[in-house]
Parts: sequence; C-alpha cells; structure tokens
Amino acid sequence: MSTYLQFAVIKFRNKMAYRFDYLLGILNTLLSFVVYWSIYKALYGGASEVDGVTFSMVTTNFIISLGLSSAFYKNEMFLQDKIKQGTIANELLKPVNFKLRMLFEDVGEGAFNVAFNFLPTVVIAAFFANLSAPSSVLNVLLCLVSVVLGYIVLWQISFIVQSWSFWLFNVWGLITIKNVFVNILAGAYIPMWFMPDWLRNVIRFTPFASIYFTPVQLYLGELQGWDILINFARQLLWIVILYVIGEFCWRRGIKKLVVQGG
Amino acid sequence: METIIDVNNLCKTFKIHKRGTGFKGAVKNIFHPTYEYKKAVNNVSFSIKEGEMVGFIGPNGAGKSTTVKMLSGILYPDSGDITVAGYVPHKQRKEYVADIGVVFGQKSQISWDLSPLDSYEVIKHIYKIPDKKYKENLERFTELLDMGKFINQPVRQLSLGQRMRADIAAALLHSPKIVFFDEPTIGIDVVGKDKIRKFIKMLNQTDNITMIFTTHDMQDIEKTCERLIIIDDGKKLYDGSLENVKKGYVSSRIIEAEFESLPITLDLPRTEISDVENNAMKKLISFNTDEVSVNELMTALMNTHNIKDVSIREPEIDAIIRDIYEGKIVMN
Amino acid sequence: MKDIISLFFAYARTGLKTRFQYKLDSVISTFAVFFREAAGIIAMYLALLKFDTINNWNIDELLFLFSLIFITYGIFIVFFMALRDFSDWIKHGDFDRVMLRPRGLLTQLVLCGADWLAAFGHGTLGIILFIISANRVGIQWNFGMAVYYIVVVISGVLIQGAVFLFFSAISFYVVETNSLKEIFYWNMRKFAVYPLSIYNKFIQSILIFVVPFAFVNYFPAQFFLRKADMAAYPEWMMYISPIVGIVLYILAYAFWRFSLRYYKSTGN
Repeated sequence: MSTYLQFAVIKFRNKMAYRFDYLLGILNTLLSFVVYWSIYKALYGGASEVDGVTFSMVTTNFIISLGLSSAFYKNEMFLQDKIKQGTIANELLKPVNFKLRMLFEDVGEGAFNVAFNFLPTVVIAAFFANLSAPSSVLNVLLCLVSVVLGYIVLWQISFIVQSWSFWLFNVWGLITIKNVFVNILAGAYIPMWFMPDWLRNVIRFTPFASIYFTPVQLYLGELQGWDILINFARQLLWIVILYVIGEFCWRRGIKKLVVQGG
Repeated sequence: METIIDVNNLCKTFKIHKRGTGFKGAVKNIFHPTYEYKKAVNNVSFSIKEGEMVGFIGPNGAGKSTTVKMLSGILYPDSGDITVAGYVPHKQRKEYVADIGVVFGQKSQISWDLSPLDSYEVIKHIYKIPDKKYKENLERFTELLDMGKFINQPVRQLSLGQRMRADIAAALLHSPKIVFFDEPTIGIDVVGKDKIRKFIKMLNQTDNITMIFTTHDMQDIEKTCERLIIIDDGKKLYDGSLENVKKGYVSSRIIEAEFESLPITLDLPRTEISDVENNAMKKLISFNTDEVSVNELMTALMNTHNIKDVSIREPEIDAIIRDIYEGKIVMN
Repeated sequence: MKDIISLFFAYARTGLKTRFQYKLDSVISTFAVFFREAAGIIAMYLALLKFDTINNWNIDELLFLFSLIFITYGIFIVFFMALRDFSDWIKHGDFDRVMLRPRGLLTQLVLCGADWLAAFGHGTLGIILFIISANRVGIQWNFGMAVYYIVVVISGVLIQGAVFLFFSAISFYVVETNSLKEIFYWNMRKFAVYPLSIYNKFIQSILIFVVPFAFVNYFPAQFFLRKADMAAYPEWMMYISPIVGIVLYILAYAFWRFSLRYYKSTGN
C-alpha cells in the first residue's frame, strides 16, 4: 500500500512545482462556477424557492459537483499515451499493479486540486454566493463518504473508456462524449431537481445519480433513515458493476497487446 | 567568383529569465523577475563566395544555429550587417526566402501523416513553382536521392534517412541559390549519412549552389566541404581551409579501453587518461599520433595491463577547438 | 487573389487528407465536438422546461443567440486555428518554417491551419440552431436583415480572430500563453453564450470592453430580437459590431507586426 501512496504523494508534489498556475487555476474554477451561478440566479429571478428548492440549495449543488469534478480533473489520455508510445509493456513488467498506480496518481493530483483549487474557490465564492450550511455534522461526514464513493464511480467510468484505447486509434472523442453525459446526467450543468420526471427516472437506473447527487442530498439532509443506506448501497453496487466491466475491458486489452505485440 | 554572403560584426544577445528556487524565489520572481544575458553571437564577420560550400561547426550552444537563423531571416540581429544575394534577410524576408532553401535535421517540413509527394504539392503552391520546373526538379531529385520507392508512402512509415532525403528534396524544389543545412545527418546511420553527403556534394558542384552546412559531426565536413568556420561561445574561432585543420585533427586519437585492474599508469609523452562515466574500469586515453604511434601505445598498454576491451573513438570537435586555443591550428 | 485561393485549397486538401487517414476517429471526434458544444444548450433546454424563460428570453431566442457563437467559431477555426494554437507553433519550431517561405506570415497562418472537423462540428451546430430558431423568434426577414446577419457573422469572426492575434503577439515575448487564453478567451466564451444581462456589472464590462464577446452575439442578436433587457445599454451598440471587429483587428495586427522582431525562435 505504501508504494501506491508514494505515487499519490509524488503526483501531489509535482503539481506543487507550478505555483503560478494555481492562481490562474483558481480563477478558472471560480469563473466556471460563476457562469452557472449567474444562470440560476437569473432563472430564479429573485424567487426564494422553486418547487421547494431554494437558490442556496442550487448553489450548493454546483459547489459540490464542482469540488468533485475538480478532484477528478485529470489527464484522461494517460492510458492512450502509454499505449501509443509503446511504454505500456514496460509498465506492466514493473512489480506494481498498473491500475492501482493510475488510481493513486489521480488521487494525488485530485488531492492537490481540492486543497489548492477547490477550497480556495469555495472560500471566495462564499463571499458572494449564498451557500447552504450542512444540516448536521453527521451529514457532512456522510457526504464525505459518499463523495469518495462518487469519485470511484467517476474514476471507473473514465477507466473503462480509456481502456478502449487498446482497440481504437484515439479515444479523445469518446472521452469527450462521456464527459458530456456525466456533466448533464449527473447534475453538474443542471441540478437533478429540475430535470423532467421521465429523465430523472431513467437516471435513477444509471451510475450517474451516484456521482454528484447522492453527496448533495446527504449534505443537505434530504435523505433520512433507510434512504441513506439505499443510496450508499447503490453507489457500492455501481462500483462493483463498473469494476467488473473495467476489469473485463482491461484484461481483454492486455491480451490483445500480448498477442499482437503492441 | 562574386561574394554572395557578407556578414559584418554580427551580434545577438538573448535575455534569459532566471528562475528563483524554492517558494520564496518563485514569489519573488512574479514581482521581480531577474534576467541574465547571453551573447549567443558575438561580433562575427565572414564572407562567402557564390558556389562555395562552407562547413559551420562548433559544440552545442556555440551560436551556429543562431547565426544560421539570422542568415536565413528568422531572427533579427541586435547589431551588425548581413547581406545575402543582395538582400538584407530580416528586412526583405518575403523576397529573400524565395531564393534560399533550409533543411533542419531536427525539424521536418513535410507532414508526418502524408506522403512526401503530397507535401511537395503544397510547396509548389507556396513557392509558385512553374509546372515545368517542378516536374523537372521532382524527377531529378527522385532519381538522385533514390526516392522512387517511398515517395508515395506516408512519412511516418519512412526511416530517418529516407525522411531526411525527402526533406532535402523539399528544400530544393524551388531551385534556391543558397541552401542552409542545419545538422542534416543527425541520428542517421552510416550508409544514410553517406548518401546524403554525396548528394549534397554533387549538387554543389553541378548546380553551383552556395551551401552552408552546420554540424557537429566532423565527418560531414570532411566529406563535403573545403572551407571551415569554427564557432565557439559566440565567437568565430577559425575560418580557413579544412586541409589545415585536418592535419591536427587527423593526428589526435582517443582510445577507449576497459581494464581488468586499476590503477593505470602510462609513461608516454602527451598522453592523457580520463574517466568514463558509470564505469570505473573504463578509461579514455587521448594521444597524438605525431608523438606516439598507435602501435607504441597499444604495446605499452598490453605489456603492463590486462585489457578486456578496446575501441578507437572519432576525435571530437572539442579536441579540435582545444588545439586551436593552444595554437596548434593556425588560420591560413 | 486567385493565387491565394488556390493556396488555400492546396492546404485544405492536405489538411483533410491528413484527417481522413483515420476515418472512424474523424467521425467520432467531429461528433464529440458537436456534442460537447451542445451540452450547455441541452442543459439550458432542460432547465427552461421548468423555468420557461431566463431574463425574459425564451428557448428559441436563446438558440438564436447561441447560433451566432457557434457559427462564428466554426468559421473562425477555419481561418484562425494556427493563431489559436500559435504558442505551440513557436514551441515546436513550426513558425521558423513559416518565416522561411516567400509568403506573408499571416497569410500563411490564416490559410494553413484549419481544423476542418472541429469547424464542421461547431458550424453544423450553429446552422442547426439558426434554422430551428430563425423563424420562431418573430424576425421579419428581408434582404437588409439577411445582409446584416452576414455582416455580424463576419464581425464576430474578426473579433475572435483579433483576440487570438493579440495572444499570438504576446507569444513572441512569453511563449507560454495557455493560461491567458484560458481566462480571457475560453472562460469569457462560457459567459458569452448566455444573455449578457444575467451577469453582474463587472462581468458585463469585461464582455463589452475587454474581450468584447458581447459584440459577437448579444448585441447583434438584440438587433434582430429587440428584447426588453437591451434598455440597459445604449441602442447604438446593436450596430457597431463591424466597427468593433475591424478596429480591434487592426490594433491587434499592428501589435503583432511590432512584436515580430522579438521572435526568439526558441523551438526545437
């Protein structure tokens, strides 16, 4: 385990090296937030709530999804680059689990982004945007657990699409399309509350609801009792399903690599 | 013969941003950037006659690329004058570059995903080469550079040597009067290098094209040029015949030997032993054949030491430059 | 002129040939660009199912507003892609080659750098949006209107071209300009997609005076739509997009020419 933590630490440190970039990075994240915040401010047009959803709940939704996507912000062409450059074979010979290593490097980068990009953004945003306070300390903890699970769901979806680079010349297009699905269906562009009912019902049966919306609901205290457990169970179930699919693609890919020789 | 390139007191200084270290340095840098100045080309003058072929050598970072970039109009000189074929390159860029061709060994001008022929078609449009001339040149270079086999293949499938040949043809299609070759043989195998050198030499002789050839491979120069300009640390160190340099250069030799035991002692005149990185048992022995013959040296070595492996290295430019500083090579 | 056009087609031919080496990838990438750009619109559409209007703009009017951003960007990318990615050209030493060719520097950069697939993705999206919305927003189309629409599209292309010409000029001094572009173009563009009036005064001023995206879509769209929120701005702003485009481009061009002598050719 300590080896893998080392990967995360190194990635974190590497990011530290580009100090000037963080100031600009914070500005970028802040501006992305301001766009959606402004849109919903205009949509609310001064109304205190719409369908029982207050404007500060909407703001909170955007902040949490922003936090998670900034934690996840990474180079999704990583695997493709390794395959194209032909260095994947060497990587596989090393006595570390390549997939775990990838995960921990991403976690390291994500930790950096959260600490130096997301948190400062929240502090600045708190000056002008009216954020909801969490409903209780317990809810914050539940939210954090659920954020971790949501991150893993997000990561696995990305891994599956990345693993297709064993077969495709370039997965950039598919990754872009995947990100559109995630941004819309998981609620980064439009909060789940405002989606048409039919769409919300469809999303319930996809992994997308497990990414941003479960943490948001937990933070706001919208889930009680059994619902909390059901939502956690759903996140876990998707992690298992996605893991199986990811592992299947990965193994087939490696096999293809071995048979055809890079 | 008429003078075609005339360079007087050319200077170019680069401002280099000095990065601070540590967090304090980085912050300080944002508000208070510090710079240092590097004289890349320092008061260089020379002139070249039409049809001449001149080798331009020097170690990495000596300023030869900067000089060539100023000669070809890419860089503005800080001071000094350049006249090439009647033009001031950086002032009359558009008219001037129609008359020159430039080959960068490290930077191809033909597209990676297309065939050389596809790229040539675009070049034809850019240079407005008349159909007849284009066809003639293309046929001629295809034959001379032996490109028939691969001219229709995507460049990414070509070997480095083939790609370089295709690149050389690309720079010649518009029949330039002057051609600059910047490290045209870098990374290419011996056979490939030879093909390129022969072609360049032949073209210089038959078409009377003026050529400037930068390299740090002495062999390139030896096989192609008669005149040599050596640049070191931004200054012109030597400008004269290759013959003159060759005497000193041919007699200096380096032997790389791996020994079974240390230390090494050799009692021969003007023979130096130096270390090799990463291998304590390996040593470089430099000597001069005017003073010690290879035979003498080997005998001396074999008699006193057990040698595992031995090879003779090409003399490097650094050695020649050292000889110039030490006055062993004099401009003629 | 004829010669310039034939050069443009020579570049275009090789550009397309390159992309069609990888047909499946090209199709997927084009679709991905299309879909990525449509994402914000889909989200807006879904939100308006609930909210009906944003600052009194309904979905058709918004689509009309969006269409100008996408059509202008689609054309922009045909002519200005090399300037968009100019710092890469410098970094990789490609600008050296441009300088070694007997054509105008900007002529070459403008003609050669088209990303046809992205252009197709953005352009198609813009045209679809325009077709959907043009008849439903109550514009009485006549010849004059059509001409003005074309004029504002060209102005929009010029404004964005000028912005990138500025960035390119800055690349002569500091090679790495990606962060600048990120903040002053890509983020501003995110804002510009939606009606200017939904933002606070600070962001509005930036979009009008600093990176004048407001003249790419918002003010021109107001000329056609005459929404109530235009009352907050002087009426003549609806008419000056072409002037903004031309003046900005001339200024950017002058700055670019001036900066050229500082080119350091640090490539390789």
